[in-house]
Amino acid sequence: MKHESPFEILAAEPETINPAILLADTLMRRKAAHVLTVEEIIDAEKVLEAGTDEIRTVERHKAVFVKTAPASGSRIPVGF
Amino acid sequence: MSECTLSASFVETLFFRKSFGDRLLRSLEYVGFKARSHNAVNACELLNRVLSEQKKYALFRELFQEEWNGSKTSLYRAGRYTQYSERACELFELVHEHCFPLLDYWNDDPEAEFERFAIMPLNFDLCCEDIDLESMRVSYVAGLIFYFQEADIWDFLFQKYGLSQDEFAPVANRAHPGVWKARQGRKTKPLSMLFRLIDHSTGNPWLDLTYCENAEMFEWDKKTIEELTRDHHDAGNYFKNLEQLDERMDADPKGFVSELISFWNNGRIDGLQEAQN
Repeated sequence: MKHESPFEILAAEPETINPAILLADTLMRRKAAHVLTVEEIIDAEKVLEAGTDEIRTVERHKAVFVKTAPASGSRIPVGF
Repeated sequence: MSECTLSASFVETLFFRKSFGDRLLRSLEYVGFKARSHNAVNACELLNRVLSEQKKYALFRELFQEEWNGSKTSLYRAGRYTQYSERACELFELVHEHCFPLLDYWNDDPEAEFERFAIMPLNFDLCCEDIDLESMRVSYVAGLIFYFQEADIWDFLFQKYGLSQDEFAPVANRAHPGVWKARQGRKTKPLSMLFRLIDHSTGNPWLDLTYCENAEMFEWDKKTIEELTRDHHDAGNYFKNLEQLDERMDADPKGFVSELISFWNNGRIDGLQEAQN
């Protein structure tokens, strides 16, 4: 198995904005009286699910980082 | 900007663009959103909230198209139920008015949450409710002798009809399987309906749910609303059946209770051919 450093893992993350942020912005800009169609609601639910998944992934990464054993200041952690 | 342009803008705002209040509320909401728009968690929360409302609006249009077209309630301003817009609250009220009772009892709280909703059971809760026999249908009380050993029930039947437990055959501990058969004869069907009602096994949530169970929660979708509407209407048949059984009880109390016991014990009414099929 290829051993990736934390830097490599971070650098390999897709450079996209969480889709929930983009959709939230779109929805907030819609006309006041615009009501979503059933299809738009279904699509939005898919985006919400993808956005939530992305948050969970980030949280998993964070949990792994937090669990990393502490090291002395003079020692450079693997990957940096 | 010229006076003429200002004037046109003013007229447009006043007469052509509706609901200034809504646009103002929406603008305030947008400002709040912009202040935290970089946060994906907040964005997901906002999406959840928007979708929850939009799903209710979609249902509103599906169920009450005419009312939706004529509605002037706000899509943004909080309504009677403060967690929801006036338009969403209008949907709740329409469902309450045209489909089934929704906004009574525990749903009367202005801060109530309706992401999913509970219904108010129509049947007696024999587990936790204080039972007042005087307020019940007499045929329902007669049916209770098969479920409870309390002397109160026989006392009630004695005082009202002079019936004594000693006059009747012993009641089996469990109902004959024939009692629960879906297909019943003309005579046995009303009795089977009575036992199903008391047993809370009608298959109708308005009659089978009780207060003491963890309340079953229902979703805001067309199928659920239509099913609950139909079930609420059908529940009336069980109460109409009780009225007819009450008449039989009043006319011949001993004969009626004997039939009940016979049907419970044997899955048929003694001397009646149709019930044996």
